[in-house]
Amino acid sequence: MKRVLFTVGSTFFDELVDSALSDIVLEALHSRGAEEITVQCGAYKGKNKELAGISSTPVLSWNEEHGLQLEIYAFKPNLTEEFMRADLVVSHAGSGTIIDVLRLGKPLIVVPNPSLLDNHQQDLATELEKLGYLKATTPRSLHDCISKFEAKELIPFPQKDKGKFQAILDEMMGFD
Amino acid sequence: MFLGSGGHTSELLSLLSDLDFSRYFPRTYIVSDGDALSARKAQDFENNKSNKKGSYEIFTIPRARRVHQSLFSTPPTALRSLLVCVYHMMYTGQLSSDVLLLNGPGTCFVLCISAYVNRFMGLPSPKLIYIESFARVNSLSLSGKLLRPFVDKFIVQWPDLVSENDRGEYHGWLI
Repeated sequence: MKRVLFTVGSTFFDELVDSALSDIVLEALHSRGAEEITVQCGAYKGKNKELAGISSTPVLSWNEEHGLQLEIYAFKPNLTEEFMRADLVVSHAGSGTIIDVLRLGKPLIVVPNPSLLDNHQQDLATELEKLGYLKATTPRSLHDCISKFEAKELIPFPQKDKGKFQAILDEMMGFD
Repeated sequence: MFLGSGGHTSELLSLLSDLDFSRYFPRTYIVSDGDALSARKAQDFENNKSNKKGSYEIFTIPRARRVHQSLFSTPPTALRSLLVCVYHMMYTGQLSSDVLLLNGPGTCFVLCISAYVNRFMGLPSPKLIYIESFARVNSLSLSGKLLRPFVDKFIVQWPDLVSENDRGEYHGWLI
């Protein structure tokens, strides 16, 4: 896995950003052969001082200790190209991102946000992991998940069944 | 179609993306006040859609409840939203249609009630379809719970959400 992308989606998820940039996770990434790390950190308000005032202009840096190139920005209107470039995506457990990444055939680790009030993201992550499409973990266990991650153990996610909704609607509205 | 912002909008547009638009026209995209992003997404979506017929319109309605609005101040806001919807469903006809697709959140309940007002008055009223989010695996969303007794078709995307005594259909994943 040469290129790894972390994404928190359209809001913020500071625990995931902090975990992504922690020494144990960077070390785990390095040991798995990662070279370029991109972090879409959202509206970060956490304690990492280097991220204070981060905007949507990407900031590039070189992490000497772990031999990694880091690219960090707050938001990007469309992440599709970033997904395509990545060899591994580590994401919040929003259903839109999950579907986009899996339909592009990219290996995915999701980290459900434990501080969400109504935590149905956790349910979705657990269920999709049970079905073998992705790996789910927590900010604290992310390094372990990356160390053990094997993309080839994942089951390819089915493409969209295009005629299905049309058939339901046609039947209801009296089209043949 | 009601585009309920964020993930709701994306899921609904995904449902519509393979629909034969030469059968379904004219189309009205209903968006909430201030949700410029959904309005733009609808526009882009229509521009890129192939095999379409007829025109489309984007219609803005007031929100039933703003994000983080206190429960105390919700009733007047919701009432205003309801009156606007009833007016355009019943009087101007700008919200009337053959079928209305809903997938949350709260404001779509107001549209559902407006359709019912027409029904009670014996006026033409859209068939109502609610599609629960793909993200709902074990439990319905609040808008799902609210709308389930009222809509003509209630569709879920995970099998555990259908039980024998409840209304609901499972056809696998739709998005």
